[in-house]
Amino acid sequence: MRLNFHSNHTLLFSTVFFGFLALSLIIAIVPAVGVEAAMAPLPGSEPMTALEHEGLKVYISEGCVACHTQQVRPLAMDEVWGRAAVPADFAHVDPLGVWSPYAPALLGSSRTGPDLTNVGARQASETWQYLHLYNPRIVVPDSVMPAYPWLFDLVDEAGPADVIVPVSGEHAPASGQVVAGAKGKALVAYLLSLRQGSLEGHDHAEGGE
Amino acid sequence: MIGREPGVEQEHARPFTESKTRHNPVADRDTAMTSLIYAYLGFATLWLVVGTFVGEYLGIKFTAPDLEHVPWLSYGRLRPVHTNTVFWGWSSLALIGLALYVVPRTSNRRLFSLPLAWVSLVFINLAVVIGGVMLLSGINNGGQEYREYIWPVQGLFAIGAILVAYNLIRTIAKREVEEIYIANWYIVAAFLWTIAVVVIAYVPYYQTNPISESVIQGYYMHMGVGMWFTPLALGLTYYVLPKLLNKPIYSYSLGVLAFWTQMLFYTMIGAHHFVFAPTPWWIQTVAIIFSIGMLVTLAAGTGNFLLTMRGSFRTVWRSYSLPFILAGVLAYFFWSAQGSLEALRTLNLVWHFTNFTVAHSHLTMYGFVAFLIWGGIYGLLPLLTGREPRQAWVGVHFWLAVVGLTFYGGALMVGGTMQGLSWIANAPFIESVNAMVPFWLWRAVGGSLMFLSHLVFAYNVFTMRPARSTTQARAVTPAARVA
Repeated sequence: MRLNFHSNHTLLFSTVFFGFLALSLIIAIVPAVGVEAAMAPLPGSEPMTALEHEGLKVYISEGCVACHTQQVRPLAMDEVWGRAAVPADFAHVDPLGVWSPYAPALLGSSRTGPDLTNVGARQASETWQYLHLYNPRIVVPDSVMPAYPWLFDLVDEAGPADVIVPVSGEHAPASGQVVAGAKGKALVAYLLSLRQGSLEGHDHAEGGE
Repeated sequence: MIGREPGVEQEHARPFTESKTRHNPVADRDTAMTSLIYAYLGFATLWLVVGTFVGEYLGIKFTAPDLEHVPWLSYGRLRPVHTNTVFWGWSSLALIGLALYVVPRTSNRRLFSLPLAWVSLVFINLAVVIGGVMLLSGINNGGQEYREYIWPVQGLFAIGAILVAYNLIRTIAKREVEEIYIANWYIVAAFLWTIAVVVIAYVPYYQTNPISESVIQGYYMHMGVGMWFTPLALGLTYYVLPKLLNKPIYSYSLGVLAFWTQMLFYTMIGAHHFVFAPTPWWIQTVAIIFSIGMLVTLAAGTGNFLLTMRGSFRTVWRSYSLPFILAGVLAYFFWSAQGSLEALRTLNLVWHFTNFTVAHSHLTMYGFVAFLIWGGIYGLLPLLTGREPRQAWVGVHFWLAVVGLTFYGGALMVGGTMQGLSWIANAPFIESVNAMVPFWLWRAVGGSLMFLSHLVFAYNVFTMRPARSTTQARAVTPAARVA
């Protein structure tokens, strides 16, 4: 067997495959393992509640990440969203389950809608969040976000345990009352949990910079 | 650039369009092989129409968000249906179909196993159907772009791809020629790289938090495009272009240089999708440096193709397939270079997170990859089936696609830049939404033209269908010519 890429297919294709694997190890797997090893939550931060985790599942299932980032960059233009993100901010986000054994892609790649890193602090009103999900144009007239009426139930008469969503005007149903559904409650709980924690006592060494 | 209808009455008229060369091809005698390739290209075309219909509808949703409130049709669920259908259904099946033709040709032997290739087609189609239905019902892998199919579904695609890889490598191993033609370097490498990428991306152990997941995601989304579609499209062009021009490629060595730099440079640049993110800073810097290094690969590849065309541009204008290849090669250079520029931190500042990225991905996956696929199909399929498309309709396809993409890309590049500048100016966020409104409308217009061009393309693929027997093909061709 001659050592010639042009005529020795075993040599050519082995080089191509194992060379690529070696490069992938350097640029993807090793840094990912490094990030895993260094990951620790912010001091004083709390794990997600079961309801918030359910809400995260709805957030992923509905594809919210297509338009919303959760990454504040260390740039002046991003200061409006909060302080710069550190890896520790994401320490409590775990894989979703056996069919999706990876952490969800929360960082996002598109800011067609606002960054949600700190939305729980920015829009702390539960009612605002419900109205906005039922139809974003109730509270933000120029919004192009989809409406999510299937996260809500339409009932004739709301019971004492129901969370009534005060939809009025052109978006109100013809009859009955809008109440939050199970998925809607979970999603709002998750959104309201999105608040940046304090960096006090946090070791910066593992950070992005 | 457009084909003149060669009616007799036009013979002495001033031609409005360039008259195109006819090949009067005779159908390939290997009808079993023809059926296989046509099935791949036929399904690819079906997925192109389905996938871009979804994309077109998504574009309309930006201008009319309250059109309907059906959960299965909501933006967040439909978007990955669009991207994955055109990735795995259209582009992948079309490129694999053409590769199944090119590899045996350049190895001077029959495909190792036709039944195996049919099995691959079934697996990949199953992945697109099942994956699409799951995404519509809200089941996805965790929102990671282009790997939204959950692992059992992407596993079906991987099995299909592994079987094709085995099929092609066995074909090359038993080749009747001494050398492995450069096209086959790219084609087989694309399979080997992609199989590695899919396995690395779907192993969960080192992506259990969103930061490590992002490290892998940057790698995956970039390699999924650049180590799969790019080498397949380029590899096929190393066959299709010399074949249609009837002359050798300008420089074999340039092709080899572009090949190795593709592997060395491109593999390192995935992290440029997460510039300024809290991922390790060093992988971002490495990614930016190698993004600029990619200009070497780009220049070598594009230069090679253009220098092959030099002196033969008359042939290019007179062909109905080569203009697609010329457009694809130019798009490869300009829009890949644009990608390298987007990685630079100063420009990334303006364009990251904006619709500029959406323009870039369409200019590359469509302007580059889809145009090279179309050039390959119009160039090679008539040689298999013995039937040429109606040239006027090929011209309509070309111009609808070019003009549509120009509107699409132009609108989102300008709009995306305005979005970024609005954020830098610290304007209220909603202003960046309002600024996009006219550009989203133009995008929908461009997208409609692109979608129309795909209907025309589907019709053209239908007119190039295999005849039941070779005699029928020969009988039909002259009739189709007059039509």
